[in-house]
Amino acid sequence: MQTSLIRNFSIIAHIDHGKSTLADRMLEITGTVSQRDAQDQLLDTMELERERGITIKASAVTMRHEYEGQAYMLNLIDTPGHVDFHYEVSRALAACEGALLVVDATQGVEAQTVANAYLAVETGAEILGVINKIDLPASQPDVVGEEIEHVLGIRYKECFQISAKTGTGVKELLDAVCALLPAPQDNSQDTTQALIFDSHSDEYQGVICYVRVMSGSLKVKQRITLMGAQKDYLITELGKFSPAMTPLDELGTGEVGYLIANIRNLADVTVGDTITDQADPADAPLKGYEPPMQMVFSDFYPGNNTEYPKLRAAFEKLALNDASFSFVPQNSPALGFGFRCGFLGLLHMEIIQERLERENAIDVVQTAPSVSYEVALQDGTVQRIDSPSQLPDPSHIEELREPYVRLEIITGTDTIGGIMKLAEGRRCKLIKTDYLSSSRVMMEYKAPLAEIVYDFYDQLKGISHGYATMDYEFMGFEKSDLVKIDILVNGIPVDALSHIVHRDSAEPRGRRLIIKLRRAIPRHQFEIPLQVAIGGKIIARETIKAFRKDVTSKLYGGDITRKMKVLKKQKEGKKRMKSVGAVQIPQKAFMSILDTSE
Amino acid sequence: MPPTGPENHTGLYIHVPFCRARCRFCGFYFETNADGFMERLIEAELRELSRVPPNEATTAYIGGGSPTTLPLSLLARLIKAIYARQPQVRELTVECNPEQVTRDSLRTLRQLGVTRLSIGAQSFNDEELAWMGRTHRSSDITAAVEAAGQAGYANIALDLIFALPGSTEQTWQHTLDCARQLEPAHVSIYGLAIEPNTPLAAQIKSGKIKALDEAQDRAQYQQGISALEEAGIKQYEISNFARKGYESRHNLGYWKNQPYIGIGPSASSYWRNRRTSNVASLTQYVRAIETDQSAVVESVSTDAASQACETAVLNLRTRRGIHIKTFNKTTGYDIMRSFAEPIERYRALGLLTLEGDRLYLTREALPIADSVLCDFAAL
Repeated sequence: MQTSLIRNFSIIAHIDHGKSTLADRMLEITGTVSQRDAQDQLLDTMELERERGITIKASAVTMRHEYEGQAYMLNLIDTPGHVDFHYEVSRALAACEGALLVVDATQGVEAQTVANAYLAVETGAEILGVINKIDLPASQPDVVGEEIEHVLGIRYKECFQISAKTGTGVKELLDAVCALLPAPQDNSQDTTQALIFDSHSDEYQGVICYVRVMSGSLKVKQRITLMGAQKDYLITELGKFSPAMTPLDELGTGEVGYLIANIRNLADVTVGDTITDQADPADAPLKGYEPPMQMVFSDFYPGNNTEYPKLRAAFEKLALNDASFSFVPQNSPALGFGFRCGFLGLLHMEIIQERLERENAIDVVQTAPSVSYEVALQDGTVQRIDSPSQLPDPSHIEELREPYVRLEIITGTDTIGGIMKLAEGRRCKLIKTDYLSSSRVMMEYKAPLAEIVYDFYDQLKGISHGYATMDYEFMGFEKSDLVKIDILVNGIPVDALSHIVHRDSAEPRGRRLIIKLRRAIPRHQFEIPLQVAIGGKIIARETIKAFRKDVTSKLYGGDITRKMKVLKKQKEGKKRMKSVGAVQIPQKAFMSILDTSE
Repeated sequence: MPPTGPENHTGLYIHVPFCRARCRFCGFYFETNADGFMERLIEAELRELSRVPPNEATTAYIGGGSPTTLPLSLLARLIKAIYARQPQVRELTVECNPEQVTRDSLRTLRQLGVTRLSIGAQSFNDEELAWMGRTHRSSDITAAVEAAGQAGYANIALDLIFALPGSTEQTWQHTLDCARQLEPAHVSIYGLAIEPNTPLAAQIKSGKIKALDEAQDRAQYQQGISALEEAGIKQYEISNFARKGYESRHNLGYWKNQPYIGIGPSASSYWRNRRTSNVASLTQYVRAIETDQSAVVESVSTDAASQACETAVLNLRTRRGIHIKTFNKTTGYDIMRSFAEPIERYRALGLLTLEGDRLYLTREALPIADSVLCDFAAL
């Protein structure tokens, strides 16, 4: 197909602002699906996505639209709507020439919308402003339009006012896509370069890659090379989603579709990688490729030790469909066998946890999330660590660096004070405050990621009565006054309780932990000191007093059966505990200390 | 005398479930106002006694309840029947209420073959006695002990209770001092246990009575140990103290995990690797025995592993502890191997001592013995 009649575009929107509804309406209006067949929100393939109203993985659908007597091929590329998937969003946007920025007329611009709009600008995509839900009585298109103009620099009068639900303005929007968004460049004579902007694993067909042909073309039975992975494959199937998989012999320049090439392992396919012809390869891969970066880590333990193999199988299954999730076995003397998992960010972690519980019915306990650190060693090398146990000997460390993010918070002006207090308490530095309107403000902070991953979002929601939204973007690692705190139970450090924290929060964080421990550990036959230490220095202490009396006075013939039962029960109670030296800690208690849900 | 002895021993226990009044803290099975039933019960017990294999028991213990609530003639029939069938009994104890005995009654019992008296003294503070619901006064105890001496008993045991609500170091010391003055051969001290379904439990729950705190309870226990040991009455079990040679053979049998046969309502037996209990109802018991049926309502056979655990737990209650060779031989389990982990842990904590061929609780461990023993309760 000639490139001048192809339009590749994405929809950028905050959760619940109507992205999926708009996509559904477009599919209907273009006749891609009949109304009868339309299951709401077709683009979201996973149950969880549909239920949460968010899109986790990108996918693409091809539509045909008549405009001024010409038949256009419209490829709608879906983008993940969340903070943790910046990179994936950027790749999806790189596959497009344009983007529709959808804002809910009753809600206004949200932090994620801003972040994703900036990403679109960075990738050079043309942006059309869309104000959605104008059919609702509470809609305020003027106010929202002003915000869009102010924050994103898109003129209000150029914005499209639609109702994706009723279909009002959607046809006009499709026309505008054809009229206003640029066509792909015609690079059909160049060597083949196709961008992988998403992939997923299918039980029967192996890995299915979502590709955008940037130059040249792809054909069935063509031998190809994945330039980043440096692996060769034979294309066995090509096609488009319309929205069902429709096989084709060829995908030409500017087109978007899927590719199957007998790739068994999802890990071999990285979003952002370039496909080229094996016999006539491109000189260089497409720009912008980055390996996924895991920034948040958390340990998962089965609530019941016997479920460890089940947990492993569940993680293997999850990793099949999510190359940015990783897990490695972890054995904690205190907690038994579990896994240390790496995530792109907080939401990514939540999604994995939910999917784990939903799809596998495994009771898991998750430790408080932590972040990745950089350790500059005295020999000049730099290490990445994601667990306090990996920290090298302090004498070898030149400096410790922690990840910082640019944090954007959009909230009502009435909650600025509370949010500023929260942010300051979390070592966040205010970069700028931008009033979107008289009642809404966007605050931009430079924030240590470690402070954000630890219940920040919940607090933010609490302070703003659920109103504030936030987004963050990784900035880089910076030197920080970090210390490792150890928790000593009866003089013995407990690995699972060690934390890397900023020196200023070492004492309060450590104290909170040992107070929880004091409540969770039953009294023993001896006094148990609980201590927080930095290096060898104790900075806080609590004590669990010994019990003073536990003896049956009378034990004669008539009491033996009953007493043995009682003693056995007492022993059983101890069995479910983990020993740290002579101290026995109930595993459940351990979990409650580490669990973030409290 | 080693607690884990190789010698064959079977104890015979006869339960007399009658009391004149219920004590506030008592959780035992007994009946008050059952005078009319006494003879019928004793007849039944004699019948049950006749089912015990002859020449089996070496000790006997008549407990309750209060056996001295019985008319002397009925008590005498019981004792005669014991000796008639079990002539090898060398120690026969009768529990007495101080106010229920006289020099004459005690002399009669002694002539019948009672070798040991266990007197339920409980306290030498009259207010405490009244509070408990006892029908005797401190002077009754002194009189009973003197009468027993005159009746020719050398083996007199006193039971005392500590950690009573409202008690102090001083009140408890008074009781200990009075007891020591009477120079008993044997003393048992029991911390007041709040048994469920007793008047005391209800009053504590409702807040009417405040239980002593743990630290005071422990202090009184240790005070008791010191006071008795000073008087030459040595601790040989968690709650039991005796002058040399006056340890209760019958009770040592329990702690050595040797067999015993219980007679009477609610009585327990450990006989031929089976632990059984009789029905805890006077009428049901009598009816069962009179119709030549079994009065047993609970019966559990014990396997080698649970016998080993019971032996360990029971042996460890004695100050001499586990005699390792004897334990290994009688149970078939190697104590040091089977319980390696708790033994090592508790030795490190100073709660267990291994000395020569013995493994025993340290003094430190005594007030918290259950927390240690529970690790021996299962394999």
